[in-house]
Amino acid sequence: MLFFSDQFSLIFLSGIFIALAASFLGAFIVVKRMALVGDVLSHVALPGIGLALIFNYDPILGAAVFLLVAAFGTWFIEKKTALPPEAIVGTFFTATLALGVILVPNEELLEGLFGNLFAITDSEAVLIIIASIIIFALTLFVARRLALGIIAPDMAQSIGMRPDLSYLVFLLLFASSVALGIKLIGSVLMGALTILPAVSARNFSWSLKSFLSFSVILGVIMTAAGILLAGYFNFPPGPLVILTGIVFFAISLFFRRA
Amino acid sequence: MEVKDLSVQFGNEEPVLKDISFSVRKGDVLAIIGPNGAGKTVLFTALMGLISYDGDISWLKNVNLGYVPQKLPENIHLPLTVKEFFVLKSKKFLLKDNPLLQSVVHELKSVGLGEEILSRKLVNLSRGQLQRVLIAWAILGHPNVLLFDEPTAGIDIAGEDTVYNLLHKLQDERGLTILLISHDLHVVYRYANSVLCLNRTQLCFGEPRKTLTNEQIAKLYGESAFYHHDH
Repeated sequence: MLFFSDQFSLIFLSGIFIALAASFLGAFIVVKRMALVGDVLSHVALPGIGLALIFNYDPILGAAVFLLVAAFGTWFIEKKTALPPEAIVGTFFTATLALGVILVPNEELLEGLFGNLFAITDSEAVLIIIASIIIFALTLFVARRLALGIIAPDMAQSIGMRPDLSYLVFLLLFASSVALGIKLIGSVLMGALTILPAVSARNFSWSLKSFLSFSVILGVIMTAAGILLAGYFNFPPGPLVILTGIVFFAISLFFRRA
Repeated sequence: MEVKDLSVQFGNEEPVLKDISFSVRKGDVLAIIGPNGAGKTVLFTALMGLISYDGDISWLKNVNLGYVPQKLPENIHLPLTVKEFFVLKSKKFLLKDNPLLQSVVHELKSVGLGEEILSRKLVNLSRGQLQRVLIAWAILGHPNVLLFDEPTAGIDIAGEDTVYNLLHKLQDERGLTILLISHDLHVVYRYANSVLCLNRTQLCFGEPRKTLTNEQIAKLYGESAFYHHDH
């Protein structure tokens, strides 16, 4: 039992940082009505994990490459064809889940889908923490452009912003954050980790600031609780993180503002 | 500013705008009229340099554009207060910026809104309040040219009247040059120094009373009644 050991603390900490970046990005996913996109896009990670395992690379790397390409593809096709992102992602990327299931060896599959507390090495945990901080900072940097691009795209352009470029940066950041969480939380549940804190937070937010803050706080709390429970009961952490999030969401419904 | 032989075409489709030429003097009001689909909003996006075009658009030096769109996208799910909407215009949006807030309050006052609106949510504003907030947003930072795309529906006559009085006041007080897309000929006669009639091509340009003859209006709206909007 590794509960409360040094290794557990490091994994716990990396989980917190994954949640920090993912739930911040998730706030924008939710208000851009891309919840489904976020969910399906995260499945793209699976064939990446499979190929990385076959060629002996780190699965996080394989997942990252596939996710970044998919994110760029979504952006590019949306820009060129004006198809809604759901249609693009729903059409092109559900197939990757099937491909992933075939490519990933059985014993690794469950881990890839739902995460594993102890799949993360110390150096990976450190990498995750640093990368999450960078993603968080970059998201903060594009947040102004993103928000204005959602509220008033014409006005954003009129003062020299490029909403399409900030959207691309945003998708790439999102893809990176999913890749970071793939081992701990799993690809199926990373999508949910980005969305759940934001939909709960929106129920009781009165401003952009409160919405973003609550989203991040809830994301961190649900991940912390989920990982602690997973460590204690020796379950995969992903499902427990998500179930904790669902509890928060149910509570938030009582605070729902018009 | 001066525009010469401006044409805009998307892909291989019919040109949306063809051979448009006009000029606006500093401090003047130009009204742009035409039926729906005439390319009025496209003209604005070209003037702002947001789409590619053929021909020449030349502005005076140090021109600083403010833009008021027809409307905001529908179904905004982002909780955002009016104050935050203004703060997002500033690069220092993460810090508490008191001089900025002071100028916001000042601009709100000049469009006839009180400070208390700052704490309201943007999506909960009435159509008229939202339009004033958009104007205040556009004039924050003191542009010298204002592009104003008139909303086609949703504002009552009394409200509309005051918005034009407001634009007129801004023009007087700040020497703003205003380019205004309008659907209301009364507004054109009352406030504009010159008028540009568009229906993909340029049908007229000049002083409203001389240019807008009944014949011209019939040509613009009457014969193409099929395009005429019904509100």
